[in-house]
Amino acid sequence: MSVNIGMISFAHMHAASYATSVNANPQANLVGIADADAERGRKMAERFESRYFESDEALLDADIEAVIICTENVAHREKALLAAEAGKHVLCEKPISISVADAQAMIEACESAGVQLMTAFPCRYGPAYVEAKQMVEAGELGEILAIKGTNRGRNPGGWFVEPELSGGGATIDHTVHIVDLMRDVTGDEVASVYCEMDRFFNPELDCDDAGLITMDFSGGCIATLDCSWSRPPHYPIWGDATMCIIGSGGNVWVDLVSEKLNLYQNDKSSYTWVGYGESMDYALIADFCRCIEAGGPVPITGYDGLKAVEVALAAYEAAETGAKVSLAS
Amino acid sequence: MLNIALVGAGTMGQMHAANYSAIEGCRVAKVYDVVSEAAETAAAALGAQAISDVAEAYAEDIDIVAVTCPTPQHAEYCCRAAGAGKHIFCEKPLARTMQQGEEIVKAVSDADVIMMVGHVVRFFPEYATATELVQKGSIGDVGMIRTTRMNTMPQGSAGWFQNYELSGGVTLDMIIHDFDWLLWTFGEPQTVYSRSLYQHMPTLDYSLTSIRFASGAIAHVEGSWADLSSFRTSFEIAGSNGLIEHDSTENATLTVQQRQAEQGLAAVQVPSSPAKSPYLIEDELFIEAVAKGGQAPISVEDACESLRLALAACESAETGKVINL
Repeated sequence: MSVNIGMISFAHMHAASYATSVNANPQANLVGIADADAERGRKMAERFESRYFESDEALLDADIEAVIICTENVAHREKALLAAEAGKHVLCEKPISISVADAQAMIEACESAGVQLMTAFPCRYGPAYVEAKQMVEAGELGEILAIKGTNRGRNPGGWFVEPELSGGGATIDHTVHIVDLMRDVTGDEVASVYCEMDRFFNPELDCDDAGLITMDFSGGCIATLDCSWSRPPHYPIWGDATMCIIGSGGNVWVDLVSEKLNLYQNDKSSYTWVGYGESMDYALIADFCRCIEAGGPVPITGYDGLKAVEVALAAYEAAETGAKVSLAS
Repeated sequence: MLNIALVGAGTMGQMHAANYSAIEGCRVAKVYDVVSEAAETAAAALGAQAISDVAEAYAEDIDIVAVTCPTPQHAEYCCRAAGAGKHIFCEKPLARTMQQGEEIVKAVSDADVIMMVGHVVRFFPEYATATELVQKGSIGDVGMIRTTRMNTMPQGSAGWFQNYELSGGVTLDMIIHDFDWLLWTFGEPQTVYSRSLYQHMPTLDYSLTSIRFASGAIAHVEGSWADLSSFRTSFEIAGSNGLIEHDSTENATLTVQQRQAEQGLAAVQVPSSPAKSPYLIEDELFIEAVAKGGQAPISVEDACESLRLALAACESAETGKVINL
């Protein structure tokens, strides 16, 4: 048995990594690709030895059980609703949506269609995170008291910096991964959000490129997250994803991109980091396929996607008003 | 010869006293400590006189009072020293409360004595170099600043560091170093929001502070008394034209491990610097200012502003409120 998968759009760069992961997985087949950008869709179909479909509907009519949605953020809702209507399971790129209402609509549509909706949070599969979470669950760190997170990066350009397509800038792009890990590891919800936000590094943009979010969790844990695109163009790597967890019984540092070599090349003025860690995307896709095949629930739900994006949206509100925003749990 | 009375013979007091012994033109003449054995031991090592009445520290034969006792007593000793016309060195933080801090500023100004507060991070070469790079415009306009200062929970005399009422926890006692460096380098702060674990003292304290500066820059200041390793610091400054990074764990020129020392870390860990001790630089500059009658390189007014910022962070952590300065 294996899972037949279709991909809707390669607008998000993670799509290529997901396609690679599907092809590398003996339990999955990449049946086809639909993309509003036909040229990109055809090119990707060729690159990943799959088939290009002229429309989403045509792809959804094909022999597939599930779709991976990697459109611009704003289109997640429309595509997820189409897939649900066609009875296909959904793996949706993060952030799940650009509004809480959109995420709710996606969750409801998938629920009533009886299909799974999974949010693509590959960091959950980072081996360092998995081990840290096991330690927390085994009580080795005691009570989780504080978490300092970073998910810094570079301006990705393209539609990511067009708020009408992305829903914002750095903050909507880089808040959800680590907030999801914080929710997952504490088992608590974010109760309040404060945020300092600005545009520092790319003055030409119409969106934020720097954000510092401070949170209180419902169980009392305090946390901060730096979601800035503050890595310079010649930084040796695109960015980072880290957490420092302070527990009553000990501390643990999780660095999801620390497995790297320093590569110096004669024709380049700065060195680069070449990662050798396991592919978190591969693990994400494999787990999604396993759940679809088992007919069981996915481990990272649409609700998880909603709760993470809710924090990013609250950060925008806090930055706008200068006040702390409370969230209902 | 400038005669110094040391008030407080704990870890920091002994360290400054050793520096004074190495600086020409000054000497520690008297040592006071509420724990008389501590005063006697330190005095014997320095060839100084142990005094049991602090009033003797303000006597005619003393030029400088070095206040290195726990924070809550700073105001009393500094104000008395200023009243007696003595020049003053005081460890950071300036005081435990804003009222005390302002009293010291007034007493020093009224008495027209020279006072310097031990915001030694300005003399740590990695911080001083970063400040210079920022001021030269090497990374353009500064956007995000991140600082980290991590230590084990310090003990101190009768465990006073571990009592939030006395020490103000990691936010007032330790990351005031970062607050001072931030104010010195990036100017006036506007908004402070801080969360901390001060309620978990004496076991641990940890604080995460968000600051917005008038320049527009945003800072994230992390302070830990929850760490279980050697003292370490790091910072990064991201600007419109680049990034400065420093991590003390990656820049050690000398790493020493001794098999006999496995039993544990010092009761109060003091960060080291591979170059000339920043504490010695600090003490030399102060003694020079007194000897020549000049300005101290760190004014008591600056120290008062650093105190204001640290206490605002404490207030924010205690109340959950965003503080506008």
